[in-house]
Amino acid sequence: MSRGNTPSQHNSTLAISPLVGSRSLQVPQQRNPANASSTRQWSGSHRAAQTPHHSVTYSPLVQKIQNNASLATPAPVQDHGSTAGLLASMTKNGLFGPTMPSTLRKVSIVGDIRRHSTSIDNVVGDVAGAESQIGDDRLVQDIDIAQLPAAEKLRLWRHDSLMQHQYRTAEYIGDKVYAMTGDPNDAFWLAQVYYNSGSYIRAVELLTRNNLDTSSVMCRYLTALCLIQLKKYEDALDIVGETNPFRDPLGNHVKNQDGGIKLESSMCYLRGKIFSALNNFDKAKESLKEALLVDVKNFEAFDELVSKNLLTPTEQWTFISSLDFSDLDDNEELIRSLYITKLSKYLNLDQVHSAHEFLSEEYKLDNNTDLIQSNADTLFTQCKFSDCLKLCEEALEKDEFNFSILPIYISCLYELGGKNKLFLVSHKMAENFPKHPITWFGVGAYYMCINKISEARKYFSKASILDPSFSQAWIGFAHTYAVEGEHEQAVSAYSTASRYFPGTHLPNLFLGMQYLLMGTLPLAEEYFALAYDICPYDPLLLNEMGVLYFKKNDYLKAKRYLKKAWEAIKALDSESKSWISIHTNLAHTYRKLGDNERAVKCFRLVLETTGKDADTLCALGYVYLRMNRIEKAIDSLHSSLALRPSNQAAQDLLKQALDVNLSTVLDESHPLVISSKLQEQGTGTMSKKRTANILDAHGVAKKLKHGQDSSEDEDSMDLE
Amino acid sequence: MLDTPFANFLSELKLELRESAVQLSRLKLYNSSKWSAEALCGMCEIPSVPVMKTFMKNDDSPLKNRSNIQFGQQESPQKYLAGMESSEYDLYLLASTLFECKEFDRCAYYLADTKHPELKFLKLYSKYLSWDKKTQENMESSMTPQSSKQGSGFRDNTEMTNREVMNRLRSHESGNSNALKKSQKSVDLDNGESTSIPMILKELNDYLLLEGDKPTFGISLLHYLRGMLYKIQDIPSNAISSFLTSLTMFPFNWVCWTELLSCISRTDESALLLKILCEKFNDEKTQVMLKFFKLSLFQEFSGNIDEFIQELDYLLSIFPNFAFLKTQHALINYHYMDYVSAGLIFEQIIKLDPYRLEDMDTYSNILYVMQKPSKLAYLAQFASGVDRFRAETCCIIANYYSAKQEHEKSILYFRRALTLNKNCTSAWTLMGHEFVELKNSHAAIECYRRAVDINPRDFKAWYGLGQAYEVLDMHLYSLYYFQKSCALKPLDKRMWQALASCYEKVDSLEESIKCYTRALQLSLDSDLDTTILFRLAILYEKQNDTMSCKEYMIKCVEAQHSTDGFINEETTKASLWLARYEAKYKNFSEAYKHALRVTHGSSQEIEEARAIVRECRKRMD
Repeated sequence: MSRGNTPSQHNSTLAISPLVGSRSLQVPQQRNPANASSTRQWSGSHRAAQTPHHSVTYSPLVQKIQNNASLATPAPVQDHGSTAGLLASMTKNGLFGPTMPSTLRKVSIVGDIRRHSTSIDNVVGDVAGAESQIGDDRLVQDIDIAQLPAAEKLRLWRHDSLMQHQYRTAEYIGDKVYAMTGDPNDAFWLAQVYYNSGSYIRAVELLTRNNLDTSSVMCRYLTALCLIQLKKYEDALDIVGETNPFRDPLGNHVKNQDGGIKLESSMCYLRGKIFSALNNFDKAKESLKEALLVDVKNFEAFDELVSKNLLTPTEQWTFISSLDFSDLDDNEELIRSLYITKLSKYLNLDQVHSAHEFLSEEYKLDNNTDLIQSNADTLFTQCKFSDCLKLCEEALEKDEFNFSILPIYISCLYELGGKNKLFLVSHKMAENFPKHPITWFGVGAYYMCINKISEARKYFSKASILDPSFSQAWIGFAHTYAVEGEHEQAVSAYSTASRYFPGTHLPNLFLGMQYLLMGTLPLAEEYFALAYDICPYDPLLLNEMGVLYFKKNDYLKAKRYLKKAWEAIKALDSESKSWISIHTNLAHTYRKLGDNERAVKCFRLVLETTGKDADTLCALGYVYLRMNRIEKAIDSLHSSLALRPSNQAAQDLLKQALDVNLSTVLDESHPLVISSKLQEQGTGTMSKKRTANILDAHGVAKKLKHGQDSSEDEDSMDLE
Repeated sequence: MLDTPFANFLSELKLELRESAVQLSRLKLYNSSKWSAEALCGMCEIPSVPVMKTFMKNDDSPLKNRSNIQFGQQESPQKYLAGMESSEYDLYLLASTLFECKEFDRCAYYLADTKHPELKFLKLYSKYLSWDKKTQENMESSMTPQSSKQGSGFRDNTEMTNREVMNRLRSHESGNSNALKKSQKSVDLDNGESTSIPMILKELNDYLLLEGDKPTFGISLLHYLRGMLYKIQDIPSNAISSFLTSLTMFPFNWVCWTELLSCISRTDESALLLKILCEKFNDEKTQVMLKFFKLSLFQEFSGNIDEFIQELDYLLSIFPNFAFLKTQHALINYHYMDYVSAGLIFEQIIKLDPYRLEDMDTYSNILYVMQKPSKLAYLAQFASGVDRFRAETCCIIANYYSAKQEHEKSILYFRRALTLNKNCTSAWTLMGHEFVELKNSHAAIECYRRAVDINPRDFKAWYGLGQAYEVLDMHLYSLYYFQKSCALKPLDKRMWQALASCYEKVDSLEESIKCYTRALQLSLDSDLDTTILFRLAILYEKQNDTMSCKEYMIKCVEAQHSTDGFINEETTKASLWLARYEAKYKNFSEAYKHALRVTHGSSQEIEEARAIVRECRKRMD
């Protein structure tokens, strides 16, 4: 790039990296045909941006590594099996000798695109471990520093000290370079130094001097970033603009040439971030989406959209189909699959699954933490908590403080009541990350688990203050109110949450539940409807809607929703407590609709699964009474009263049942008479004369079938 | 890399360890065998020695004989472990030694991924036992601090009020009412894992779906375990079918038979079950087990006594020295109230097997009823010497104190028996009787209720409940309970009598009459049942059916004749009534006769009788 020529919005900062060589003198490289795990090559032929110095064409981003691992190379050499992705060819002039002692030696080519989609700070030099090997027969040319112009040397020095985080050096030298050259790119790098050392205001001042921010896109970006750090959102918005000033009205998509993230996209992301901070979530959504549409490599924006619940599940899936992954060339499928695995697991599970398969087969990523997290997410959505827990623990073994897995892990432990483990986890987190919201979320969950609600509330609020976009902390906070029965507070907390996180149906669901508890059915209905719009697949939601209609005495609708919930739960095969509630509710609905048989079946199923419960037994007794099966009714009511003797309803029912019992005439069809006849046949007389009576079991069985009402117990025996 | 001599050394070492684990466990040195098994499982991988692998595989491997000779004495384990790999066998050794040392959680953990049915059974069974142990420990038992000061406690406060008794009972029962909720409890390790019956059941069912049809020993035990778990969950139908499956595969599991019996609660069910079983078990050997089952079934549900005697004789011919059979014989005598013969048989049993304590509590009941306190005392001392901490012993001691009229102590011992064995229904029922003696109806009701909760076939408990509620004047309840007891013992006239009196109290005269009639039919010598006859007469009078009334009055009076002038209240009243009746209809001679007979009774009655006598004499002249 010549002096004063800053990159456009279609470029990234890679374009002005002092270490990137000039394009015009490049030897065009061959493009490597699709070799899935192979490295990618840069075709350097049509880059718009240029390095500051045409004369020197070299790319110190190429690491000159001998075949034998030399002393200076820190990591083992890997052979990617192709000509390494040279950023540019080397001139015959430049040579980097192996004696170069700085970090530049550790700089290497990035073969895979994965490395390229990292953040802007690492872009220069593309550090951290990616290696490639350049064989002797490749276009390796070494660079000789001595041949570089003076300013360039200083730039290299500044750059290296930046990488080594020696900010005072970097500032010192950078300042000198900028003073000497007056190049806006140098100003940019100096501002980077200020940013890294935390002096945001100095960076802002530097960049706004000389109208740098108007002339250079990058400087504008950096200014806005610094202002955001200073929390001056309005000013930042001014700089970045309320809408995308670069938006091409024709919608032409200019491909990014240098492998980084387009600055236009980053600016959109910043815009989105500002709007989020200003609580303008609609605009934030728009900007973030735009950021991705402009450049699909902007993972930051993607993560913001998905993990902060700004999009509803349906919106997420429609959005991803609109993204253009072709920018990524070889890595298109990879990134698309990776992005898919991050989407909501409430629907399109088969797509997620096939993405998983693709990733594990092609790229051997099945043990990668992100994929494990995606699996854990799926299991959590399906309420399969023990499996989810196992998976999380597996993942955490590799990376103990992985912040994407920890919230799921903590929630699982809470659901399963693992207080001990929660205690341990939160302590570890508190020791190592005292300022991180997840720590306090964990502590709050622990206190909820042991039922110390006020403590929990304190910690949840702390977590949400530290990070207002942490949805779990908000919902936890609201739950503490709900659990204590403070409906008003709970409602206000949930409402805030629903405003902040428009993509998740949970706040609306909980709002509806609160209104249900408070008895305001119309409002509850409204909120449930809202939640239903966002996500119609959640069995919990369907259950609550069923309860709502039950309370409104609209039993048919209630039945419909409860049956839907039942289907959903069956499909998920989960072991959660909602299974019981759904069945009980369904049984009560059948009871009200007069479908006694089914009601009995459902009640018995619940009893079988969960053991004895006073209310269920009482309801069962009631249904039996209606069906006029007195003995069973009395039995059930007795059991219910045994569990809870103060149950007034059960006592009244029992009285009624006994009255009915009294009025049952002791005639031929009374069970007592029949059983006594049975016994008579069997025993023979008690008199001294013993007659041989053979027990006619067959006849007895026939009598049973005709005489008494058969019980369910006998059915299984008959089948035998 | 291991070279051959080292590998050989390792494999020999492995063999030694394996053998040591087996032998030590056989002779009950559990801790040492556990150590050996742990060492065995912790050994490094040995490059495969071919002979060993084929040795372990199938019993019908052609190498078996050769390798038996080669490896000497390890025959017994291999016979039982068909199809187990050597690594699985080592795991089995470890798991079984852990089980023997009662470390159930560890055992289940090591067996976490097994597929072999026997190992799977071991795993699920140890999980179940661990759950059982933990829930027991969690349940509060207020018994323990008090039972330790059994004697001294009572010397200090000899006047234990009823209220205190009630409270103690209540607190004990609150511990026991948790038993009802126990089945839904889950044992929580607080780190996200938990065990509960539904979870174990689910795992079991999933496994059995895949493998459940192969009739191996391991699978039959898995079915048995499933039946047990369903029983705890209170789903008798599934439990019964599981037990039946288990028994078809492996009939010689007596506990399975007893569990099957305990799932049935009505006579008709028992009949049906018997029919099914007879069809299934055709083999001679299994027939024997079936006969044993029929014997115990008969104990509970009555049946054809001749058949019973036949079966018993047949079995006694095969097993003359089997104490269990003899106890069955004794029990049946006890149930038919032939106490003398029952006592004799028990004496025989004691001679045969002096330290056997099972069913001795029934013997103590017999001695109590026959009023032989010295023998009872001897039995109590002896039993407490053998093993003080068995439920049967405590029951015997309780009976002893009851015979000495020391009811509070007796109650204490019954409670102790229940702590030791919470399923001992007779203890609950007898404790209820004790409370009735102490006139504490509410506590009695609690006891009887517990008894019927555990065993709904105990007619005495139902009867007791009915009586207690009658005392409390809650007739609707007592009606229901009498009906239940009647359903269980429809050939016992006392039940019908109680039922009838209940109907009478609620003014259901028709029903009452029917019941009394039935009772009469059942009684051995209906002419002597003056109570029933008299009440019937009174009922007919209330219904204004004077003819029948008179009929019954006459019968009542005639009873007096056949008992050689034995006069009781009813006959007096009957005579008086007849006298009055005849006097009304001017049959003065009859009236005179009847009135003369009224010699005993209250002063009013005698006065009235004398008056009628005078009247009649006047009119007759």
